[in-house]
Amino acid sequence: MREHDVIVVGAGLAGMRAAIAAHEAGVDVALVTKLHPVRSHSGAAQGGINAALGNETDDNTGNHTFDTVKGADYIGDQDAIEILCERAPHEIYQLEHWGAVFSRQEDSGKIAQRPFGGAGFPRTCYAADLTGLVILHTLYTVCVKYDIPTYEEWFVTDLVTDDDGNAVGVVAYDMIRGTIETIGAKAVVMATGGAGRVYRPSTNAHASTGDAMSLALRKGVPLKDMEFMQFHPTTLAANGVLVTEGARGEGGILLNKDGERFMTKYAPNKLELASRDVVSRAEATEIMEGRGVDGCVLLDLRHLGRERIMERLPQIRELAIAFAGTDPINEPIPIRPGAHYHMGGVHVDNWGASPHMPGLFAAGECSCVSVHGANRLGGNSLLEAVVFGARAGEASAAYVQEHGGKPNVPSNAAEETQQRIEDLLARENGPRQAEIRDELAAVMQEKVGVYRSGPVLEEAKRTVTELKERFQGVVVSDKGKTFNTDLIHTIETGYLLDLADCMVTGAIARTESRGAHSRTDFTERDDENWMKHTLAYADDGEIRLDYSEVTMTKYEPQVRTY
Amino acid sequence: MPATTFRIFRYQPDSNEPEPFHQDFDLDHEEKLTLLDAILRIQNEQDGTVAVRYSCRSAICGSCACKANGKTVLACMTQVEQVKAESGEDVVRIDPIGNFTPIKDLVVDMTPFWEKFKAVKPFLIPDGPAPEKERLVPKAAMEKIANESKCILCAACYSECNSLAADPEFVGPAAFAWGYRFAADERDSQRKNRAKLYSGEHGVWDCTRCMFCNERCPKGVDPRDAIEKLGSIAFQEKVTSDKGARHAKAFLISLRSGGKLNEILIAPYTDPIGAPFNAPLALRMAQKGKLPKSPLTHKVKDRDQVKKLIKNVKETI
Repeated sequence: MREHDVIVVGAGLAGMRAAIAAHEAGVDVALVTKLHPVRSHSGAAQGGINAALGNETDDNTGNHTFDTVKGADYIGDQDAIEILCERAPHEIYQLEHWGAVFSRQEDSGKIAQRPFGGAGFPRTCYAADLTGLVILHTLYTVCVKYDIPTYEEWFVTDLVTDDDGNAVGVVAYDMIRGTIETIGAKAVVMATGGAGRVYRPSTNAHASTGDAMSLALRKGVPLKDMEFMQFHPTTLAANGVLVTEGARGEGGILLNKDGERFMTKYAPNKLELASRDVVSRAEATEIMEGRGVDGCVLLDLRHLGRERIMERLPQIRELAIAFAGTDPINEPIPIRPGAHYHMGGVHVDNWGASPHMPGLFAAGECSCVSVHGANRLGGNSLLEAVVFGARAGEASAAYVQEHGGKPNVPSNAAEETQQRIEDLLARENGPRQAEIRDELAAVMQEKVGVYRSGPVLEEAKRTVTELKERFQGVVVSDKGKTFNTDLIHTIETGYLLDLADCMVTGAIARTESRGAHSRTDFTERDDENWMKHTLAYADDGEIRLDYSEVTMTKYEPQVRTY
Repeated sequence: MPATTFRIFRYQPDSNEPEPFHQDFDLDHEEKLTLLDAILRIQNEQDGTVAVRYSCRSAICGSCACKANGKTVLACMTQVEQVKAESGEDVVRIDPIGNFTPIKDLVVDMTPFWEKFKAVKPFLIPDGPAPEKERLVPKAAMEKIANESKCILCAACYSECNSLAADPEFVGPAAFAWGYRFAADERDSQRKNRAKLYSGEHGVWDCTRCMFCNERCPKGVDPRDAIEKLGSIAFQEKVTSDKGARHAKAFLISLRSGGKLNEILIAPYTDPIGAPFNAPLALRMAQKGKLPKSPLTHKVKDRDQVKKLIKNVKETI
């Protein structure tokens, strides 16, 4: 059996940063990813990464902390947010030292910083509108330098535990060779990214199916704050492709069909740079009340001029031309809110460790520390991935060094999976994954969207339950061993169904409006009853909810306006 | 509503007789449909065994490069109707990228591509310890490598590379773009060593300058330009003993002295040891009138113009 001290599942920003940290701490760490590392969806992040470097104006980590606490609508853990913001400059400098090609200030040669939504200062470091790509590549080059073993195109089907319930490895399907194998480990770091594919349209990659969350949930680990899904204010109508918040950071404005700059009504101070939940709701309201243009509003960049667009937002221009047939130099881009980032995830502590399963760690979008609370600020996700990726890597290495010993990996783990998959492949009649997935995404989009209400959420819950039942009879039409994407999509669809159930169940229970969870039947934030994290457990397929306290340090909840 | 036939390359390694073939799939579709969405519709509606790599569907992950009617593209950002219009064909033929071995259908074995990427030492090797904060780098210096930093490693260039078709060991355009990205990074200390590493057999001078990589790169990285810039760096670092570098130098000397190319002198300068062995070939060429009559070709009239041109070129490098 293959064995390592630590295995990291997922090789985006959080995963690679964790692997690098574990490697530097002196343990044998390997990456396992269903893609190639550079294909990870972190690379699609465009606008930037926050850190109070103070390169543009006086700024400090306290400001960054406050903006994040407020952006989270006061349900982020304040101790975790302090860690995030205080370590931020160090991580940016580290990335720069590893070679990240950040955009620079004209005169000083320092890293340039741009304004972003919900931030009081220009705090977002960037590399044109390719920030995620540049950082993803930087971390990959470090993994190459360190020669970190990487299981590329290995799809994880199970989290493996020993008799005492410790995480001791994973079972994975080697897509190229067509085998199913166990990889044993003393610690497992989950970093598989978001679950945006529960929705459609979504800015997320096809691969963003929240694998780690479901793998953990099925082993009794609770998922936290699953009802909070962020809808990004600017996504292309054709396919949900992201248009960076940097477009508004650089001065882009939002217009309705009458040419009115409608954000003056909703966020008179911060306007287009209010927090994402606020801007998305404003757009949804404009569209619902008949002031949209074909189900969209307009993002106008024309006044920035050709030169600035070409220098700062080249990818946006390319994508708008390719998918919307619109050149932003000449005309506004039709955009609308689209599912983008999932604040919820595997419940972990400030070191990315699961309090429920020794040896299990999680970092990045699949985890919930929680630093984003009910609404993440733009530029904080890449930051969270590197800060808590590094911490999870460090903590997993320390855990291994402390607990030593050879892990007690069940010898039949892979065989059990093999049998399950053979049974699945043997089935000849039933629905295919694509139709179940399509229906799931449609119901989530329609009924668990920007605005929610009790009765509609209940309808969604019924549909999800019914889809889960239908999924029991799902058929895989590709029976082969090699690169069986039909099989993988089927297993992923099972993951998505688990996660959708947690999202809907959590949303029904939370009878208030907070951050990205906005209910038309409970329009106010209710600190008295709901200043708490939701924990979702799976008991025999049924989602059971529990709650845990929010950690406060020095920031008292205030009314949130922008 | 347009209807399109997609003629997809199939190779099913798990079948009893795994022979490659092309299979037709018909789709009725909206005017706007990307090649990737077409393949996924075929996967979902007609044949779940069709294999393709894909993920972001927004031209940034680099997974879905394939050939559409012979031309390498990213499937996710290519419109079906555009392929038909540009190729003048109603059928859209989809093949795996070139210069690779298929694993299953459109999925190819990328191993050589990643090995070559790693071979160019694609990581920053700075000199001395890092400062407390960021290294200060002039904006212009960072912008010098901005183009190469956009490379998404999709291998579209590799697919189209004619040098690779002739020499499978050739390092290839993407890896060299990355090589340049580090060689030209102010913060890197290995400029000369990189110039050496990228020269020699299968190195930068083996590029045939067909320009297909520049033309087909979906991100505007212009790998050929990077290769050319690596050539300049080799000269600046005096890494010029390579046959390819000598060949380039021979061009320059010839231009300087006579204002035009003198083929008879270029060959021996490029390869003084090997050239005499090519004498029989030269002789045959001369008999067929393929060589200038005298090694002392006449000089062009306006040689100052040529010198000015050389100076201009030098300044732009």
